[in-house]
Amino acid sequence: MQRPPAGLQRFLDRLAVSPCCAAITHDGCLDAALASRVGIIFILRGDGFELGPLVRRIHDAGKLVAVHLDLVDGLRADRAAVAWLRRAGVDALISSHGQLMRAVQREGMVAIHRLLLVRHSLLESGFAAVARSGADIVEVLPGAILPDVRAILPPLDVPLLAGGFIRTEEDARAVLAAGAAGVTTSAEDLWNVDFT
Amino acid sequence: MWTSPDRRPGALPRLLIPAAGLEPPGLPGGGSSVGVLLRDLDLAALVGAAELDRELLAVDLDSVEGLDSDLAAVGFVVRRLGIGIVMTRRPALAAGAAELGALGLLHVFAFDSTGLGRSLEGHPRAPGVGTVVSPGPALGHLSPGDLGRLPRPLVAYGLIETPDRARALLAQADSIVVHRDCAAALLAEGAAPLPAP
Repeated sequence: MQRPPAGLQRFLDRLAVSPCCAAITHDGCLDAALASRVGIIFILRGDGFELGPLVRRIHDAGKLVAVHLDLVDGLRADRAAVAWLRRAGVDALISSHGQLMRAVQREGMVAIHRLLLVRHSLLESGFAAVARSGADIVEVLPGAILPDVRAILPPLDVPLLAGGFIRTEEDARAVLAAGAAGVTTSAEDLWNVDFT
Repeated sequence: MWTSPDRRPGALPRLLIPAAGLEPPGLPGGGSSVGVLLRDLDLAALVGAAELDRELLAVDLDSVEGLDSDLAAVGFVVRRLGIGIVMTRRPALAAGAAELGALGLLHVFAFDSTGLGRSLEGHPRAPGVGTVVSPGPALGHLSPGDLGRLPRPLVAYGLIETPDRARALLAQADSIVVHRDCAAALLAEGAAPLPAP
């Protein structure tokens, strides 16, 4: 079996040790994330042109950085923006734009395809898009409902992350038990829980 | 010449069964507890479905091919077709449906707290305008504060797959969208009334 690229392997190793990832939606919670046991920090808001110093702080704390390309300000979801974020030192990119996943991988970053769970009749096309994209990891939202819907989701051959409405340790454990390799949450109480 | 039926409902049915056209969508015995949500169809099929004298009708306006996203389309659906429940992602259209005497439902997506909050910023919060939340099971994971911010009536829509989950959501929502088998199971349970929110 082919070994994953080094960047992806490092990302998966971090998830195995700390399946709970910090989702940063405002500057005020970054210090708590840096001081926590999480191994990966997801940046979901911010100025896309000012991420360099933030990425360095996170790396200095020994953690990996994933940035949501569709949500940071100032950057269009295209290949030039992907290259920009690589130069900023970002380890992984998240996007709902499946056509960017290969470009993310070519830049040496981990490609995370975000998939929104809406209704049953849209699942097939959504998962087909994920399969076509060749993403390294799929993140489903809202993650908290994963235990409710896992049985009807088509099979995936890449690791699954879950984010959205994961507020309690019980929520997170249920999602991990439903097959997620990790959870992303802005609930700071969860950032120091040992889920392994 | 086709004429408009006068079929505006006074209340939102507790169960809405999705249908894409003229197939028989209803359930015997459902009465006013069950309605039909017309979605994923084109304009001609919508007109054909609305002509049938049957259950309470709702429409997912954004999923109808051939309808523009404007007030003229809302007027056609409400006044000409007599559909009394209009679901849309566009706040102005939900408000427009309410102004025409229908129930307008703003369709918001609950993927995370931040996104839900942004979606609700545009809610008309006007009389006759409620809220549809997708996916439905997300309702069960909202904080009491988030839940309280959702203007009523409240509909849970999408990925409600089992009667157990449906029953749980009926305790929070005024109505849920469920496929026919799930609705049949709920109604067959019987005598017990559907749980109140």
